[in-house]
Amino acid sequence: MTTPTPDQIKSLEQSRQRLVQLTHSLGSLITSLNQSDPLPSWPSLQSQASIISSNLLTLSTHLSENHALLRGISAYPAPEFPTKTHANTLEQLLRTKLDPRVEDWVSRGRRADENLVTGATTGTTAGMTAGAGGGLSEGDLAALWEWAPVEANSEARRRNWGGNFTLEERERGVQSVAAELGLRRVLEDEGSEEEDEEEEEEEEEDEMEVVGVRKSVSGTGFEFDIAAAPGVAAQEGGVAPVVPLDEILRYMTTGVPPGQR
Amino acid sequence: MAESFKLPLRPIIEKRDRPDSLPRDIAQINAQWGSFRELSEAGLREKIEADKRKDQWAEEDEADTRAAELDDSDRKEQLYKRRAEIIQYALQAHMEASFALDFVSLLLSKHNPRQAETSMSPFLKTAAPLGSLNADVVNPPPRPDSALRDIKSVSRGWRLQSFNNAANKLLNAGSRLDTEVAAETGYWNEVLAVKEKGWKVCRLPREGQALGVQYGFLEATPIFRDRGLAALRRGEEGRLVLDKGLIPRKAQGVRVRVKCRDRIIGCSEVCRPAQDAETIESRILQARDTLFEEELFHEVMREARILGSQGVTTRQNLVCVPVSEEQEILLDLVDWDQDHASAGTAISSEHNALADAISHSIRILLTYAHRQNLRRRTQYPPPLAPKRRPVPEYQILRPIMAYLQHKSHIQWLETFIGDLRRVLESAGIGCDFKATDFSSIGVLPPSHVVSKVEALVGVFLAPFESTFSGTLTTPQSSFQVRIRTSPVVPPFGTFYDISAHLPQFPDVQPPSRIGLQEEVAEAVTHFVMLDIASSISLRNTQSRDASGGPGQQATGQLAWEVAYPHHGELLAVDSGGQSKKMKVNLSREELTVETYSLIRADGFPNPVAARSSTLLTQTWKPGSEPQPSLADFVTRASQASA
Amino acid sequence: MHELVLFASVPSHQHHELLQQLAGLTAMQPRHRLERRLIFKAYRRPGLINTRGGTGRDVQGADIVRLNKMLNGGMFYTQVIGPISEADFHNTKPSSSADPDHPMSHDEAAGNSYDYDSQPWKLEFRDIPEAGTRSTITARLTASATLPRGDIVTPMDAWGYSFVTEYVVEGDVFIHNDIVIFLHRVLQYPSHGQEPHEPRRQLPSFRDMSPLERTGGYILQAAITVQDGSNQELMRTASQHLFGLREQLKSVVRLEHADRLSLDTRAK
Repeated sequence: MTTPTPDQIKSLEQSRQRLVQLTHSLGSLITSLNQSDPLPSWPSLQSQASIISSNLLTLSTHLSENHALLRGISAYPAPEFPTKTHANTLEQLLRTKLDPRVEDWVSRGRRADENLVTGATTGTTAGMTAGAGGGLSEGDLAALWEWAPVEANSEARRRNWGGNFTLEERERGVQSVAAELGLRRVLEDEGSEEEDEEEEEEEEEDEMEVVGVRKSVSGTGFEFDIAAAPGVAAQEGGVAPVVPLDEILRYMTTGVPPGQR
Repeated sequence: MAESFKLPLRPIIEKRDRPDSLPRDIAQINAQWGSFRELSEAGLREKIEADKRKDQWAEEDEADTRAAELDDSDRKEQLYKRRAEIIQYALQAHMEASFALDFVSLLLSKHNPRQAETSMSPFLKTAAPLGSLNADVVNPPPRPDSALRDIKSVSRGWRLQSFNNAANKLLNAGSRLDTEVAAETGYWNEVLAVKEKGWKVCRLPREGQALGVQYGFLEATPIFRDRGLAALRRGEEGRLVLDKGLIPRKAQGVRVRVKCRDRIIGCSEVCRPAQDAETIESRILQARDTLFEEELFHEVMREARILGSQGVTTRQNLVCVPVSEEQEILLDLVDWDQDHASAGTAISSEHNALADAISHSIRILLTYAHRQNLRRRTQYPPPLAPKRRPVPEYQILRPIMAYLQHKSHIQWLETFIGDLRRVLESAGIGCDFKATDFSSIGVLPPSHVVSKVEALVGVFLAPFESTFSGTLTTPQSSFQVRIRTSPVVPPFGTFYDISAHLPQFPDVQPPSRIGLQEEVAEAVTHFVMLDIASSISLRNTQSRDASGGPGQQATGQLAWEVAYPHHGELLAVDSGGQSKKMKVNLSREELTVETYSLIRADGFPNPVAARSSTLLTQTWKPGSEPQPSLADFVTRASQASA
Repeated sequence: MHELVLFASVPSHQHHELLQQLAGLTAMQPRHRLERRLIFKAYRRPGLINTRGGTGRDVQGADIVRLNKMLNGGMFYTQVIGPISEADFHNTKPSSSADPDHPMSHDEAAGNSYDYDSQPWKLEFRDIPEAGTRSTITARLTASATLPRGDIVTPMDAWGYSFVTEYVVEGDVFIHNDIVIFLHRVLQYPSHGQEPHEPRRQLPSFRDMSPLERTGGYILQAAITVQDGSNQELMRTASQHLFGLREQLKSVVRLEHADRLSLDTRAK
């Protein structure tokens, strides 16, 4: 019966910090859910989910790494604990039994594993996948899992996930593809993946007609929208006027040549 | 590509176990009531049954396909149900994490009170003093193999399940992308086809992501111009759908009918063959045509309302334009597919042609009005003033009314003059009439301001003019009738200007701008009568000239002098001082010449009272028995001894 | 009359595209326009400008009073504008001309059909833009009047105006509801040392005209005229129309009010 070692305290402290992060990110998810109707924007929801997921991952990595240390700690109420008045609280704090839903979750995992072990004999649901991998041994499975992430990653890297043309199209030649599609303006073929998101959006817009029509606010007829020029000055390297507008107007008004005032 | 992924990504056939919702319910009850003592067994069973009936997993999997079938309110309901679920899970997770945090914090509060306190929940802080949880280091027994195996099994099971889910999701996404790409390709191909046909494709007003096709007429009245735009939506499997808004109009067209004494005798072609109604092109065309037709009828209606003074009447969906006393033109807007050969009609192809001609004309005139609008719109605008320029009614009905009216007047005059000519011919009087119909529609003046087409239509908006001219028997005598019909500029209607050139009666001129046909007939008849009278007197002179010395009654013939020209009366005195009178009567039907002998010869005989006895009389009518000519009659009447 | 105007500077490389965009916006083809513009300057306080018969017929009643008041209160620069066409320019280099309508045999005498004596003129008076009130938009009092054809220096002299200089404005006009959009630039006559002291009776070859803005840039001008500048509601409507156009064109050009002093017509 000794008090926890500094290492154990340190490990507990780290657990505490990770739990703080987790509760915090869960809390902010709840807040943002409550504040938006019906839901927060998809990207924000996703990024919150991935933060929570990474918090969980950190916590669980920490717990399993320090499993031995933490397992050696046994907690019990000190005499100061108001056991009489707050028995429920104590029970909550010291509970080791899993929440029924978690218990359910665990048992579903167990069943899934059992199904693997017992093989495809009961596989009546998805006929399409019948037999696929059903007979994999534990070793095969492990090998598959080792191979798959690497392979998936390299497959993903072979793709260009942005840009106006696919790899196949680029191999065939961007010009001919453009001609096939009837593009009047050949879109830029970036080639690289560092595409500014904003720029990409603009590119999309440019494919439209120069002029769009809309009904006017007052309802008195059409108005026409003018699509943004595709970054004229920058792209074409055009020359900006050298005589300021004011000077031209002054010349037009009084005949005073620009630069003589 | 999807195929090649199938094998490695799907290592397992998972028997879908129905999730047991009981544990979740217990947890939920715990969270909600703090204890499930409060729950009755019966209620619980009920809930279990209810949850079992609805298969959670199946629902999840089918969500995508079902979503499409759900209508908006259902989808909304679904959305909020899911949202509540998400919040429920998040709250639960938050609570569990908080308990764990409270536990660790309280445990640490003995060693690191300040830090630990920061992460304790407010409730715990009030419930338990810092450091009220002790910890001992123990040496726990090693976990049994079975427990370790179980952990391994659970984690492998979930891993498998998760991979499986991920694989399914990827494959679904892949095939969804596949169909999406196919649909997009189909859609854009169709859009391109539309564009290649020359339609203007553009972004939709305030719906920047959607495409639209503009088929309307830019120069139409705003309410019609603004309707000339429909969204090109992507329908099922990428098929192009022309979205004309909430209430797609039926295909309609303006029908022109000719009515004569309560009977329809002619109808314009309205039905057009339903040419492959399934192509997008034909749907756009149909939308455009209907829009044009609706505008046409709208404008016809608008113009008709200001033409009430000219007998034009309107009903809700009908415009009646009187052409003549018997004929009316009816215009209405009907469905293309309506059966137009209504019963009780006596259709003639001639009147069908008239109806068709009118039907083409009103369309040309509307298009012309569009061009005028463009012209006006692109001129320098006048300064902004409180009063806006009103849009004048288009000229669609008026030119047509004027044309038809003019034509009917020409026809009347032609008939009238033809009648007259036959009367004269039957009396052996030669005459020559010439008609120039629509002399105002002739050569176009060359212009570089107005295009030929516009100039051509412009002619029909100007007053119509036709002339009739005739040379009479007396040398150098002639008359001319000018018919003028003005469609737009007042005075409206048709007017006649008659001018006569009668050397014998230089002062005789009819009133100008005669409106009534009777008066015109009267005037023309009068001129011809005057001419005949003077030709009789001239004949005397001629024969005298021919026979030798002047002033001599060489052949013993009477010399007729025109005495009361406007009554058609001539007088002659024979050698014995006896006066004779000749009276010429001309009408559309006949010519009558009579001679009388007069009792008194004082030179001031009362033509009526002085009449004593009729000597000779002769009437000429076209189509009756051939008779001696007027010349013969005069010769006979001039016999001194007669 | 009042004129509300916005201006934008358009670099030459954007000119072609802007023309197309404006054609789409206004749903009309550009109307090409060439103008001789003569600058006159008052050298003595003039009498009432409207006293000469016939010349003031376009000046509105309320404006006449103000115009006279202003002309009596100060001296101004004013413009005399005459429409011309490219055919009016001297065609001295037929050999380099790609125009098949103008054969090689074109000699100098036949190359110029410009008849100064029948050149129509219009007087365009512009007051200095109003200060402050509508700082986002250039607003100024305007008046115009038709002048006699041909020699304009003599009548202008009678009014107390002397010729300062002249240039040519070339551009395209679009009409957008009440707004007149003029995409134009200033062309200068070729200089042969001495600037002439009166309007040219002959025009040089069009090719010899050189843009004042050397890079070939254009000015986009959007203007609405208002019958009665004291009608606040109309002025507001006009401004809104112009702002609407500015909004529609904002991704292409920036329409702005001009520096007030650059449009100062007061003669010092």
